[in-house]
Amino acid sequence: MNTPAAILEIKNLVREVPTKNSPKTIVRNISYTFEKGHIYNILGPSGAGKSSFLRLLNRLDEPTRGQVVFMGSSYDQCPACGLRRQIGYLFQTPYLFPGTVRENLLFAEDKLTEEDIRHLVKQCRIPPEIIDDSVENLSIGEKQRIALARLLAMKPEVILLDEPTSALDPTYTRAIENLIKSIVGETRVTVIMVTHNPEQALRMGGLALLLVAGELVETGTVDEVVNNPRTETGRRYKGKELQ
Amino acid sequence: MNTPGFIEVFLSLALVALAIGLTVWWKIPVQKDMSLGSVRAFVQLVAVGYVLKYIFALESILLVFLAMMVMITVGAYTASERVKKIKGTFVVAFLAIFIGSAVTIAVLLLLKVISFEARYVIPLAGMIISNSMNATTLTINRISADIIGNRLAVETALALGKSWRVATRTFQREAAIAGMISTLNFMKTVGIVALPGAMTGMILAGAEPVKAVLFQIIVAYMLLSVVTISTIVALELTVRRFFTPFHQLRLDIL
Repeated sequence: MNTPAAILEIKNLVREVPTKNSPKTIVRNISYTFEKGHIYNILGPSGAGKSSFLRLLNRLDEPTRGQVVFMGSSYDQCPACGLRRQIGYLFQTPYLFPGTVRENLLFAEDKLTEEDIRHLVKQCRIPPEIIDDSVENLSIGEKQRIALARLLAMKPEVILLDEPTSALDPTYTRAIENLIKSIVGETRVTVIMVTHNPEQALRMGGLALLLVAGELVETGTVDEVVNNPRTETGRRYKGKELQ
Repeated sequence: MNTPGFIEVFLSLALVALAIGLTVWWKIPVQKDMSLGSVRAFVQLVAVGYVLKYIFALESILLVFLAMMVMITVGAYTASERVKKIKGTFVVAFLAIFIGSAVTIAVLLLLKVISFEARYVIPLAGMIISNSMNATTLTINRISADIIGNRLAVETALALGKSWRVATRTFQREAAIAGMISTLNFMKTVGIVALPGAMTGMILAGAEPVKAVLFQIIVAYMLLSVVTISTIVALELTVRRFFTPFHQLRLDIL
């Protein structure tokens, strides 16, 4: 059995955003330790701060207070660009740069060999024949796979997924879920995935964090958090589709 | 032809009346702007005429410098007024116009293309600064709109570990072209479609057409220089303002 290794440590993370009157706290004092090779589901109702929390982990936004420590070094000590290559981020709506599928993969990592590209394409189940096609006319499901392959091209330690299936139909949703699970099995990458759907979290398995109003109210295995919440707030959200 | 006096100016108001009459007939609601514009043009130009007369007579370096600073400040203010959406554009516009104009005028003076006399420096500075102002406005507007409108594209590149410079490269190119395009078009068509103001003015004032043309060529090159420098400075400073040192897109400058 592998010994647990902390990959991301979150310490008292707070994010406030200025509003017209007073600053609004969207992430409230979150502390948590993510360990290598697990799947983490970030659950919570709409507006709970799930995406805001995820953005802090990629340092796309700056925390107002608190710290994120990646593999032992604080974010303040890591150059942002190098850090983001190790902590990949997949947006809710995939954005592909104009050009071909290959060009998109090479944008993320220009040292990719032909073999690397073949491997990524296979890993993300992208039809090999579209590799030199323009990305313009692809379906959103294909685009999401390419965006995932592009992210994996950087060989990240952690991948952050912000509701990666919210724009997909059920068939594509299952396909992406299985894809992510197989990638975790293959590469031992750590996955932190935002979802508002407890069913999806149960299908993904692993661990879960429940966020309500910017606060981390519940942690544990997915089953514990979804089916047997310990806290009063957690019970209030039990069995609900967290829209 | 004699150079016109106040009587001729008064007579040329007939053209303003014609323009206003036409807009009344066509119900285009610009009569107020037209009348006000005509009055402002008269007042501002007469005032500047007397100011220039005074400055030319004094030949004071300090005064020439002061006049240019006033022109640059007003230019920067005008440019920043047109980009109201974004906070603090005055400083960006000021630096873009100032650096572009200062470098261009300095090169002309150092190479002794023009001599440091108020009657050369000030009219040229006017042309330089107004062109710089337009290029600066267009550049700031375009790059800001492109960054705001393409937030997902910019953040996708950032999330892939790219610097803000790489993440905005395409938009920077587009904005640079937007800033420079009217000068580039002008260079292509000058003498064919447009007989520019400086040359026309010199010819009207009785100068040899060839001399006027040579002068105009210098003006064209000078505008190319100032517009390019101001565009690049405006671009660099505007894009920088959109990002934190940690390469995070910030929209709080809106």
